[in-house]
Parts: sequence; structure tokens; C-alpha cells
Amino acid sequence: MSQHDRTHHAKIATGKGDPQCFKGTAGPPKFKVGERVRIRNLPDIFYTRCQVYTRGAIGEVAVVTHESPAPEDEAWGHVDKSEWFYIVRFRQKDLWPEYPDAFAKDTLQTEFSERWLEKV
Amino acid sequence: MPHDDHGHGHGHNPPAPMVDEISDFEALEIAVRELAIAKGLFTAEDHRKFTEFAEHIGPTPAARMVAKAWLDPEYKKLCLTDAIKASLAVGVNWLNPTGFGTPSDYTDLRVLEDTPTLHHVVVCTLCSCYPRPILGFQPEWYRTPNYRRRLVRWPRQVIAEFGLVLPPEVEIRVEDSNQKCRFIVMPMRPKGTEGWTEDQLTEIVTRDCLIGVALPRPGVTTNLKMPVHRAAKPAHH
Repeated sequence: MSQHDRTHHAKIATGKGDPQCFKGTAGPPKFKVGERVRIRNLPDIFYTRCQVYTRGAIGEVAVVTHESPAPEDEAWGHVDKSEWFYIVRFRQKDLWPEYPDAFAKDTLQTEFSERWLEKV
Repeated sequence: MPHDDHGHGHGHNPPAPMVDEISDFEALEIAVRELAIAKGLFTAEDHRKFTEFAEHIGPTPAARMVAKAWLDPEYKKLCLTDAIKASLAVGVNWLNPTGFGTPSDYTDLRVLEDTPTLHHVVVCTLCSCYPRPILGFQPEWYRTPNYRRRLVRWPRQVIAEFGLVLPPEVEIRVEDSNQKCRFIVMPMRPKGTEGWTEDQLTEIVTRDCLIGVALPRPGVTTNLKMPVHRAAKPAHH
């Protein structure tokens, strides 16, 4: 345990910030703005930032945000592999079946790393 | 922590109200912090400095950012495309105080622009992610499971509890801030503020407006005081 370099983050992010320090490390993004995507229901071990309420839902890429290691890896100190992140927009009706029809225009946005998305 | 004023009967300085809900994350933060200090990763003095840095901020820089954007279309464009750069104009360098940001905030700020048919409101369902370098500490209600669980699912009911009722023609867009991006809402400039200065406008862009649970109004310069209710089903750890 004591072998882990706890100053690693300070070294790579100083003067740039995080996620800026991971810029250019993920290759080309797989999805573009406007594309329809489904949230995959991947297994997660102990840590994830992909909310259960979004899994299996279909939405549309609203913003391609930045590159960064996925939190599921970063939580374990694995920062050598980056992914693109995406803000995805859902219709509330697609997330919550009981959402009132009167407010059918309402939406929700949240962010995912690329591994959680698949083409529809 | 020793209580220096214990038993001295300073009745004019009552203790802070008890918090009914302490989340697992808050307990975890204390445990990790104490471990980090014990292991020498940072000192208690560092932690005090970081805390003071965060506590002295308050929502004013974000309010000024919105007020400036209302007055200057070029600056507004910068806010919407590179909010980290736009923060410099209101005195916020997101790389402070460590050189790579605050110890637990990331440095990707996004400004969500309201329109006559679109209103944004921000939450973090996972914990309480919040653009602290430009908005200060979260209000207590923002951290509660009550707000976090309900806002994503019943946003209209929750914002109505803050006094904000919007017609169905206005799309409500909840932003669940669950990764490294941080968000503030840029509300529309309200009627009745024609000819106002940047300082005057800054005063009405309250913290609640920047989260999206209120709209700016001339004459309103304070946030709603949300009552803290006892949990109906408190957790017993």
C-alpha cells in the first residue's frame, strides 16, 4: 500500500487543473453531439458514478466535455487510461414512467464516461 | 475540540442547530481526513488553511459573473464557452490554492443559460458536487438526501417548495452534476432592472438563483431560509 505515489496527482495537474491535465490522452471521441445513446448496465465493483436511474435509458449526447480516467478506475489509483466524457440529455418521461404528461418537455442531463454508452 | 466557553453562560451566542441527517459520505470525509493527517499527507494546519480558503469565498464571484454577462454580450459568450477563463474576470483562479485547484474540486465549470422556455436547476445525486471555488460552500439543504433524491424525479415539486412555480411551457432541465464538471445557472435578467449597474445586478443574483431554485427579482437579495425538518425515518448507525 505504501508504494502508491500520493503526490502523483499534484505532479500531473499543477498549473493545468484536472481534467485539463488529461487532455489529448483518450484518442478521438466515439460519440458526437446529437447522437442517441443507451446507458449500459455494466457491473461495478465498490465504486461507480453511473447512477442506477439512468441505466438502460436512451438519451442524446448534449456536450462532449473532456478526457479523464473513469472514476471507476481512478478510485483505485489507475490513472494511466483516459476516456472521453459526455453530458447526455434524457426526457424525464424516459427516466420516470410516472412523470406527469403535462410536463412532457422536461429533461435531465448527467455525465458519463465513454464505457457506459452504446449506440442506439 | 475543547469548548472554551463551556459553562460560562454566553446566552447571546447559542450553539449551531443540530443536523438531523449526516450522510455516509460526510462520515467518510472525516475518517479519511483524520487518516490523511495521521499519515502526514497534509497537516491539520493545511486543512485549516484549505477550509478558510473555501469559507471566505461565498457566492459573490458567481453573482458578479452573471451580472457582467447580462451587461456585456462578449463576456457572456466567454462564460458559455470557457467559464474557467471567464472566472478570472471576477477574481477566481480555479487553480488556487494548491496550483491544481482546491483539494476536492475539479476545474471544469459550465454555465447553464436559461431562456424564456428553458430553466436549469442543479443537483448532485451522488454526494454534493458544487462549484465551490466560485460559489462557496453548499447550503445544508443541497447536501441532504431529501433534495438529492427528489430533485431528479420531482423537480417541479421541489422547486415549488422554494417558491418557484414555472408553467408547463417552460422546460425544466435538471443537471445532475455527477462527474468532474461543475455547474452554475445563468438566469435571465429580470424586468425592472433597466439601467442598473453591475453592483446592483450582482446583489440580486443570489446563491439560490445560481443553483436554479429561485429566479432573480428586484429587491430580493437574500436566500430562502429552508427549515430543517427532523428525518421521518432517521438512519441509526
